[in-house]
Amino acid sequence: MIDIQSLSFTYKDEEHPALRDVTLTVPDGGFLGIIGPAGAGKTTLVRAVSGVIPHHYRGDFYGSVSVDGMDTVDTPLTDLSRAVGMVFQDVDSQIVSTEVEDEILYGLENFGVPHSEIPERLDFALERVGIADLRGRSIASLSGGQRQKVAIASVIALRPKILVLDEPTGELDPVSSRQVFSLLSSLRKDFGITVIVVEQKIMLLCEFADRLAVMDQGAVVRQGATRDVLAGADELEALGVNCPRVTTLSQLLSKRLGRSMPVCVNLDEAETMARGLMA
Amino acid sequence: MIELEKVSFSYAAQGPTVSDLSFQIEQGEFVAILGANGAGKTTTVKLIDGLIRPTSGRVMIHGSDTAKTPVSQRARQVGFLFQNPDRQICKNTVREEILFGLSAVRGDEPEERRTARAEEVLADFGFTGDEEPFALSRGQRQRVALASILAVEPEVLILDEPTTGLDYRECCHIMDRIRRMNRERKVTVVMVCHDMEVVLDYADRALVMACGRLLGDGPVREIFRDRMLMETASILPPQMIGLAQRLGLDGGDTPEAMADVLAARAKGGEEQ
Amino acid sequence: MKDLFRYVPGRSVIHRMNPVTKLLLTVVICVAAFITGNIFVLLGLLAADLAIGFIAGVPGKTLNILKGLMKIAIFLFVLQTLLYRDGTPLFWIITDKGLLTAATVVLRLVVVCMPLTLVLAVTRVSDLANALVQVLHVPYKYAFTVTTAIRFIPQFLEEMSDIMEAQTARGVAFDKARGLRKLGMILPLCAPLLITSVRRTELTAVAVEVRGFALRTPASGYRRYPFGLIDAAAMIVCAGMIVAAVMIR
Repeated sequence: MIDIQSLSFTYKDEEHPALRDVTLTVPDGGFLGIIGPAGAGKTTLVRAVSGVIPHHYRGDFYGSVSVDGMDTVDTPLTDLSRAVGMVFQDVDSQIVSTEVEDEILYGLENFGVPHSEIPERLDFALERVGIADLRGRSIASLSGGQRQKVAIASVIALRPKILVLDEPTGELDPVSSRQVFSLLSSLRKDFGITVIVVEQKIMLLCEFADRLAVMDQGAVVRQGATRDVLAGADELEALGVNCPRVTTLSQLLSKRLGRSMPVCVNLDEAETMARGLMA
Repeated sequence: MIELEKVSFSYAAQGPTVSDLSFQIEQGEFVAILGANGAGKTTTVKLIDGLIRPTSGRVMIHGSDTAKTPVSQRARQVGFLFQNPDRQICKNTVREEILFGLSAVRGDEPEERRTARAEEVLADFGFTGDEEPFALSRGQRQRVALASILAVEPEVLILDEPTTGLDYRECCHIMDRIRRMNRERKVTVVMVCHDMEVVLDYADRALVMACGRLLGDGPVREIFRDRMLMETASILPPQMIGLAQRLGLDGGDTPEAMADVLAARAKGGEEQ
Repeated sequence: MKDLFRYVPGRSVIHRMNPVTKLLLTVVICVAAFITGNIFVLLGLLAADLAIGFIAGVPGKTLNILKGLMKIAIFLFVLQTLLYRDGTPLFWIITDKGLLTAATVVLRLVVVCMPLTLVLAVTRVSDLANALVQVLHVPYKYAFTVTTAIRFIPQFLEEMSDIMEAQTARGVAFDKARGLRKLGMILPLCAPLLITSVRRTELTAVAVEVRGFALRTPASGYRRYPFGLIDAAAMIVCAGMIVAAVMIR
């Protein structure tokens, strides 16, 4: 479980706090989507979950963050890192090797995974992300999307309990973006991994995340089950966060028909609703 | 007018290639190029601007062959907004950045005119001019890049995934501005974009590419309704069009229009 | 330039050699070239350089490096012969000893410059670093610094060309300028490049930290780098080169 209590954080040498009084919990096996305008503190929040705040980025830290039973302030970063896998926004800066296979080996070697177990872990990560064919390639020869998948594979190989991703689909086309989200979803189902994703593509979040947190100016302004958060679509719009068009549709219909319609979060639900109306 | 005649391009076995592309874009059109990663979209827009030269075929802008004039000379005519604004921004203030672009392209004009033009653009975009680009957010930097391109008043604007990494509000800012240029000044817009909702909202015509070839070309709405085409090109159509298709409806491209249709049907049903 | 550091995959004898042996080979060639003053031994070492390139299956690259070095070599040769006063004059101010000394200096330069580039072309940087840590117990931090630097070069060049492309598109006449003028135009544009590079180093530091950088020991590496027959053979060649250099000065 991830339990954040009244967390405020101001980066060293910065005037304004990047996080203001954030309280947020994610149960084991949950899938949380974090959305919000630029500069809202989304990246800072996931840094706090992974422990690089306060271990790497210094500053004023108030409140507490507990990850898998460990308090992030008291626990050394390497211990936290065994539990939390992190995929950063800028793929190129997190890749340390020149070859795909070496990149996946890197964390396995460092965390002392027994060498007898390594081949299996390598195969698992490559297969799971669907990049077995890239195994022998050099990183330089890969496209942005392929690099993104390598970065994810290198973290999955470590079998973390919690996976934190900061805008993992920024460089990807819609089809690859969906692939990444289905992958996360399947890892969660098969291994009970807790997933936290910062993402701007609201439609993907609606389809895959069971919880949403909306951030603005360092604070979590709304959180809860995806559908409940979307029910306040007008408020979201005011914050500069859009919602899927099917949600807008269900809300417009509620107004036009003068009765409350179910909040639709995906195409299937919208179809059911529409068929009900047309019958 | 932009004309591609049987254009092919391949680059030493790496990078997406395009083959046998032929199409025309009239002045004032708003065209989106769609397709999966690696379909050759970026290659195509770079070919249009002459940043890369075709290995065979011809690219003509306003009747002149792009292979025969240096790209830097064409900058006055064609503006190019890249996915990453940091490739372009190199000055310490927004004002300097805009002036830098102006002096590169309109160096022959008197300085006062350029300064006046810069101030006009700054005001238009709501910048004071003294902001430091690298202290701004990604979306703001993208706006700085756009401002410095629009400052030179190009006739054609090429956008390569202009909304990547931007939040919804920033995305609307950028796209609304571009639409205004298109409507008011008849600037031709050619845009590569992965967000199909944005394409539906802003573009008039769509070119669909896969594996370096042109698969489809037509009005955006018709293109999105072509199921076979969408599937071959691995494109998910915008939600409302997807819904309309599932329901067998013709209109309803926007939530508003769809709500009208559905509300009318529901009321009609109740009256019976 | 971009291709200079690019790894060329293959299964040649040189590819399969232990990275440490390859490094030893380059060091020995350099040392031998400095010990000996004999032009024939130097020619032999040059032959060894070329042999490495050809056996490794990168003849094109080998000749390209040689061609690049030739320009500097010719310049140095002319300078040396003109400046050397000793010996019997052959014609004008050129002496026999002058010619010989110039040839030796130039040959030495070429011999010394070639092997490292060649060996890097057929060795994965990560293998080199891992082997250095495992076999020679070089501290991992240093090995990591070097590999990161080498990895950054193509990335840096790629970004540089992206920036030039973006600037050309907005009217900066890179496509018309050449040489020094072009350089003068590029330098002011490097500000964004520097900013992204600094930002990136910072991010890389965090990224490796959460992947257990601090836990790494010489025993961490999964790949093993044993010495085999090829390495033994290479060592004999190395010894031969040193002996020849010492005997025939």
